[in-house]
Amino acid sequence: SINPMEFNPDFLACMIPEVEWALLLEAADTLHLVEVPKGLTEGYEHNEKFLREMHQVLLEVEVLEGTLKCSESRGLFPISWGIPNMPLSDEE
Amino acid sequence: LFLLIKKQFPLNVSSVSKGNIFNEMQRLVNDGPESWLSAISVWKNLLELDAKKDQLSQRDANPLKRKVGENDVTNPKKLKTEPMQELQESRECQPEKQMEEEPVEQGDFLMNREKSQKAFQNEVVKAADDPSQKDLTFRVSCRCSGAIAKTFTAQEVGRVIGIALMKQFGWKADLRNPNLEIFIHLNDIYSVVGIPVFRVPLASRAYIKTAGLRSTIAWAMASLAEIKAGAFVFDPMCGLGTILLEAAKEWPDVYYVGADVSDSQLLGAYDNLKAAGLQDKIELLKVSVTELPLPSESVDVIISDIPFGKKFKLRKDIKNILQEMERVLHVGGTIVLLLNNDHHRRLQDCEQSGIPLNSKGSPTDEPGIEKCLSPREKTDLSDTVSSSSEASSQGGLDKMPPVGSLVPVECYQVSLGRTEAFICKYRKSHSLGL
Repeated sequence: SINPMEFNPDFLACMIPEVEWALLLEAADTLHLVEVPKGLTEGYEHNEKFLREMHQVLLEVEVLEGTLKCSESRGLFPISWGIPNMPLSDEE
Repeated sequence: LFLLIKKQFPLNVSSVSKGNIFNEMQRLVNDGPESWLSAISVWKNLLELDAKKDQLSQRDANPLKRKVGENDVTNPKKLKTEPMQELQESRECQPEKQMEEEPVEQGDFLMNREKSQKAFQNEVVKAADDPSQKDLTFRVSCRCSGAIAKTFTAQEVGRVIGIALMKQFGWKADLRNPNLEIFIHLNDIYSVVGIPVFRVPLASRAYIKTAGLRSTIAWAMASLAEIKAGAFVFDPMCGLGTILLEAAKEWPDVYYVGADVSDSQLLGAYDNLKAAGLQDKIELLKVSVTELPLPSESVDVIISDIPFGKKFKLRKDIKNILQEMERVLHVGGTIVLLLNNDHHRRLQDCEQSGIPLNSKGSPTDEPGIEKCLSPREKTDLSDTVSSSSEASSQGGLDKMPPVGSLVPVECYQVSLGRTEAFICKYRKSHSLGL
C-alpha cells in the first residue's frame, strides 16, 4: 500500500545518504515500483523530483503482507501487518 | 502537577509527643497564611484560564508535556528566574513579598516551573481580589511515607490539617465534591502542601489505547536520550510502543523503529500507533533483542524498558542484551534504559570501581549533586522521581564500564507506583575500555 505522508525534505536529507542503493533498487523492482531514482546524482538535495520520488519509496510505500529476503543468508522472513518476523530462534 | 503552597524540611518525628507533631502540622497551615491565599488565587486564575480554552489549548499542550518527571537540565537557569517574575506580574493584588516566601528557600525550582508554565504561559492573568474565598469547600488528601507514616495515619494528618484550615480560613470541608483539593505529602525527604492542577493523572494520553509503561516515564527517558532530527532511534523491547510514541510526538523528524518478540505486544503497539496517527512514523519489527538484524554502528539512540520479570520475563541475560545494543549503536550514541533493582545491581557489579550510587531517600540534601524532583499525580499511584545520584563518568579512567565501551552517564531512581526502578543512561565511547 502507498500511504500518503507529509513531505519533509530535512528528514529526507538525513536519510538519503544512508540508503543502500543496490538493495533499494532490487526491492523496488520486486514491488514493481516505477518512479524510483537509480542513484544519487549531483545536487540531489535540490532536485525536487528526486526528493519526491525518494519520499515516496522510502516513506510512503509500505509492504503489508509479503516476505523479506536476506541477500546474504538467503533467509526468508514473513511480513504480516507490515511487521517483519525475524527472530532466528523460535521464541514464541 | 501541583500548585505549591509550602515546601519544607521533613517534620521531626523524634519528639515523643504526638501533640507536638500535630502542632507542627497545624503550623503548616497557620504560618504564613498569605502563601495559602496567594496559591488559591493562582488556582482561581487557572480555572479562569481553563474557561478560555480555545486560545490556550495550544499553549497548554506544551506545559502538559513539560513534566517534572525528569530533571530538565537544559533550561534550569532560565526558568529559575522566570517564574519568580511572572508570578509577580500576574498577581496584581497580592504584595510581592509573598512570592519570595515559598520557593526561594528550597532551591527546588521545578515546582515553580510547573506553576509558572501552566498559569502564565505568555499571558498575564488579572487576579481579581475575590472576596468569596470564604465560600470555598475543600478536601484534604494526604500521603505519608517513611518515618512519619509509622507515627501517623494519613487520615489523622488529613484531619488535623483540615481542622486547621477551617479555623484559619473559614472554609468548609466537603469530601465528595469540593472546590479545592489540598494535597499533602509527608515523607523523610520533604513536607509538601499543594493544590493539584489537573484532574487527570499527568500520564493520561488520549492517543494510547493500551498503556504499558507510564507515559511520563517514557517521555522522561526520551528526553534524556538526546534525540536529534534525522536520528535513528530504536527500542529493541518496545512492548506496546509507549516510549516510541512519546518520543515521536515530541521529536517528529526522526526515524523510529520498535522491536519485540511477542506477537501480542506488537499488535498492541500497532493499535496504539494507529490511534496516535503515528503508524507511518514508527516501524515495527518482530526480532529478538540479542539477534538484531541491524548492521553494527547503525543506530543513534536506543531507549528501552527492560522487562522487569513481573509482567514479562526476560529470556536472555541483561549483559548479552547490552552487548547487542552496544554493537548496533554508533560511537557517541546514547542508550537510556529503565531497569529494575536486580538488573541495576548486576550492571553495577560489572563495574569494577566507580562512584557509588547513593541509596534512595538520603535525608541530607547535597546541593549540586542531588536533584530533587517531586511531581505527583492525583491518583493512587504516586509517582515520585528523586534522583539519588549521578555517576559522572567522563574522564574516569579507573571506571570499568559494564559492557565494553558503554560508559554510564547518569542514573535516576524513579518510583513506578509500587515498584522502584532506575533510569540509566549510557554513552558509547571511542575506546573499548578494557
